[in-house]
Amino acid sequence: MKVSVLIKTIVFYVAITCVFLGSCTKGKTNYEAERGSVVEEGVEFKEVTNVVNAGYTISIEALNGVLYRGYNDIRVRIKNTQTNTPVEVSGVTFLPIQTTVTGEKRSCPNQYNFSYKSDDKYFSGYTVFTSESGSEGGWEINVNFTVGGQNFSVIKEVLVRQQTNKNLNMTMFTGKDDEQYVIALISPKKPNVAENKLVAGIYKLNRQLDSSPKGFADQLQFSYLQVERYALKLDPRMPEPSMGNHSSPNNKDLIQDTDGLYHGVVNYTMTGNWTLNFILLNPDGKVIRGTEVPKDFTPGVEGRKSELYLDILF
Amino acid sequence: MRKLSIILFILSLGLKVHGQSIPVKRDTTRRLGEVNVEATIKRKIESDMKMAVSVDEFLASSDNISFIKRGAYAWEPLLNNMSTERSTITIDGMHVFGACTDKMDPITSYVESNNLSSIDIKSGQEGNMHGATVAGSIDLKRRSTPFGLQQKIGGAYQTGFEFNNKQAFNLGNLFYSTDNFVADGSIALRKAGNYYDGNNKEVLHSQYNKLNASLGLAYKTSALSAVRVDAIFDRAKDVGFPALPMDLWLSRAIITSASYKQLFEEGLVKVWDTKVYFNAVEHYMDDTTRPENLVHMDMPGWSTTYGLVSKINLKKDRYSSEVQLNAYDNLSIAEMRMYPQDRSKQTMFAYSWPWVTTRFVSVAMNNSWEISDRSKVNLGGSLGWNYNYSKYVEFNWIFHPGAPQKKNRWLPGIHASYELNLNQFDISVGTGVGHRAPSVSEAYGYYIYNSFDRYDYIGNPDLKNEISYEVNASVGFKTEKLSVSAKVNYFYIDNYIIGRILSLGSPMNYQSVGVKGYTSLKYATLFNTAMSIDYQVLDNLHWKAVLTYARGKDDEESNLPFIRPLSYQTALHYAYKRIGLRTSLNGDFAQTNYSPAYGEDQTASYKIWNLSADYSFSLGKFKSVFQVGAENLLNEYYSTYADWGNIPRMGRNIFTSLKVNF
Repeated sequence: MKVSVLIKTIVFYVAITCVFLGSCTKGKTNYEAERGSVVEEGVEFKEVTNVVNAGYTISIEALNGVLYRGYNDIRVRIKNTQTNTPVEVSGVTFLPIQTTVTGEKRSCPNQYNFSYKSDDKYFSGYTVFTSESGSEGGWEINVNFTVGGQNFSVIKEVLVRQQTNKNLNMTMFTGKDDEQYVIALISPKKPNVAENKLVAGIYKLNRQLDSSPKGFADQLQFSYLQVERYALKLDPRMPEPSMGNHSSPNNKDLIQDTDGLYHGVVNYTMTGNWTLNFILLNPDGKVIRGTEVPKDFTPGVEGRKSELYLDILF
Repeated sequence: MRKLSIILFILSLGLKVHGQSIPVKRDTTRRLGEVNVEATIKRKIESDMKMAVSVDEFLASSDNISFIKRGAYAWEPLLNNMSTERSTITIDGMHVFGACTDKMDPITSYVESNNLSSIDIKSGQEGNMHGATVAGSIDLKRRSTPFGLQQKIGGAYQTGFEFNNKQAFNLGNLFYSTDNFVADGSIALRKAGNYYDGNNKEVLHSQYNKLNASLGLAYKTSALSAVRVDAIFDRAKDVGFPALPMDLWLSRAIITSASYKQLFEEGLVKVWDTKVYFNAVEHYMDDTTRPENLVHMDMPGWSTTYGLVSKINLKKDRYSSEVQLNAYDNLSIAEMRMYPQDRSKQTMFAYSWPWVTTRFVSVAMNNSWEISDRSKVNLGGSLGWNYNYSKYVEFNWIFHPGAPQKKNRWLPGIHASYELNLNQFDISVGTGVGHRAPSVSEAYGYYIYNSFDRYDYIGNPDLKNEISYEVNASVGFKTEKLSVSAKVNYFYIDNYIIGRILSLGSPMNYQSVGVKGYTSLKYATLFNTAMSIDYQVLDNLHWKAVLTYARGKDDEESNLPFIRPLSYQTALHYAYKRIGLRTSLNGDFAQTNYSPAYGEDQTASYKIWNLSADYSFSLGKFKSVFQVGAENLLNEYYSTYADWGNIPRMGRNIFTSLKVNF
């Protein structure tokens, strides 16, 4: 009799405990979802567009199948249209061309000669579109390739969209040396509250370009050059007034690595809006653009930004 | 049968107290009936002044406990002038960890005076039975009714009102006892408004509201064994913390255990007591009551612990021993989410405890030999393994790139003491060495705002173990009417962990002025001394006085923070028939050895005079006591060395209470 009372009470207890366990008053934050809610990471290459020419299908691929303003990794696959099998191709070049409303033709920072990836049989390169398709003009892609000693050239119009992931933001500006520069963020696509490897491409408009209409592709491929041995000083801060110009420790300025890109480290101490304040230095250490920002903690005041900055959000 | 149950209970009482510095003397005759229970000195949960005290008030009457106070509720107990990271605080040996990064919920805030029977405080390495410690241990002993009481059903009800902060409280407990089944239950409700300081000014955000309930069921499975299940539920709501920029909206704790106890009539092993436990704490802060705050912020915290305690008591002739196995697994999570002024914008999120798991296993042993009728040697040791795992270690990497995600630590501890009784003198000397692992905040904390020095604190996963070397001594003199005792202890602590200003990073919380990182000082030293006198002036007049002094220094001979200045308590108790009168005076001298580097400023001296009277009477057939009194009778305006933000303490407080036993 008493044993049963005891068992009943124990059961009652366990039930209470279970109810309590299952019902925290406020739910814990799902951290993985927390980050995912702002940044959608494109992980898969999909076809953006394709052109059929002389029995070959030229397929242009990008992440999510979309080209964005800013940095884009691009793959080109060339197949036999009938058999749908990869063809022995060489000398694949890729050139984006923007035709402005005034009819002027321009290009953007771009890898002209694509490299071949034999494992997956595609050609790989990148492009930094400097504007979206629209009022400034549309974009076309010119792809050249050689099959069996024969040269082929195709042109196809593409749509360049606004980049919604602020972590892949870019900026264009004129430096103190009167040169025109492009800085485009490449990585991290999806930052963490952590140490993040920060990678950016820095490019300069090639002014020596002579703009003779003949052989424009030969000219336009040099319209931007990767800048060499520059440095990009970094000071990340949260601009929100309530954050009082909050910054993070252990950041590293971006310097050029063997891949030509600029690598540094940015620490984000919490999710939200951040501003990457930059100072661009040329190889002589001269400031090309950018200003030091106040380092004080000033609650209630919106953080002042460098004249060279990129806003990010995650 | 009933007799045996009583013996069982008495034995259990004795064993509970066995851990205290005066071990129970037991004969090893075969019959359990000859258990000597003289030493079952359970301290009743009431202070000299008040019979209805909170757990904090009760602890405050101990001479090696002081408090950091952030308001009227949930004081953080300091043992030997060391904060809670350095002591182990347990409930019946169970580890419970607060869920608040700002230490707004010490474990003592999750129990109530009417579900406790006593508090067992051990200083230094003697306290390593429950786990690795430096300062010592505080074990809160729960009330448990024995089997087969003559009175089958009984209990007590206590109610009262305190005028200063309009605190109304109702405490009730009930028991039911038969030969092989016991049920214990208690419920406590306290509700208080803001208190008024010595200048009769209201201290805003000092209200609180607490509900505590407990239930215990025991069943005797055989003449020598019993099982018991226990649970405590505690809920605090709308608790103000005047010294902090935010208050507590809600905290809840459920503390459960199931235990099995087996007694042995013969052999070396006398008792084997094993308990499995589970507890969960949730703690939600609220700043919506503070419109002056620039940033709205959510700071929820959760702490979940599973554990096991298993203990055996051995005794043979003049040797007795206690061996205890502790194991627990704790997960501590704390989040912060800041809201921009424009609420439509993205919120900002980070973990202040990035899902930190702590696993701990220790085996501890305490042996004592009575080498003669007058002297005794105690020798004990413990070996613990502490494992930490930080799930989102990338938070920790921001300040400590490459710090390991997992960390194992071995925590040894030993202690020895010698006790000698020479006629009226009791002398003891002791020494100990012990390691402790950094706490979750010290190792993995991330931008934890400390409103005392107004810095954001960052943990360091690579901190070394703190190693404490201690010596202690005490002398006591006792006559029939007078007892005098003096105690000293000295700690030399290697790798003393404390926050130091970092030149890196910038604050995250808008109130803070900078970032501090937990770092190890080369060493720190701490010296504590207490003297007490007890004198039976007349048969019905009793005088008591305690004087304490402490000094703490870091490796550059600068002062450590939160060290209590010279302080005193003295009380006079007069009993006449059914009336009892008490008066007491307590205070601190001026704090001259304060530490500006850790945010302290000089605190002036203060003295508090208290007075109370009680009257015992019968209410029908129930024994009852009525008490009325006043604390801080002179309405002195003061704050103590450990009051955050120098918030003033309570001014004159008139209290009344009525207790009915049935």
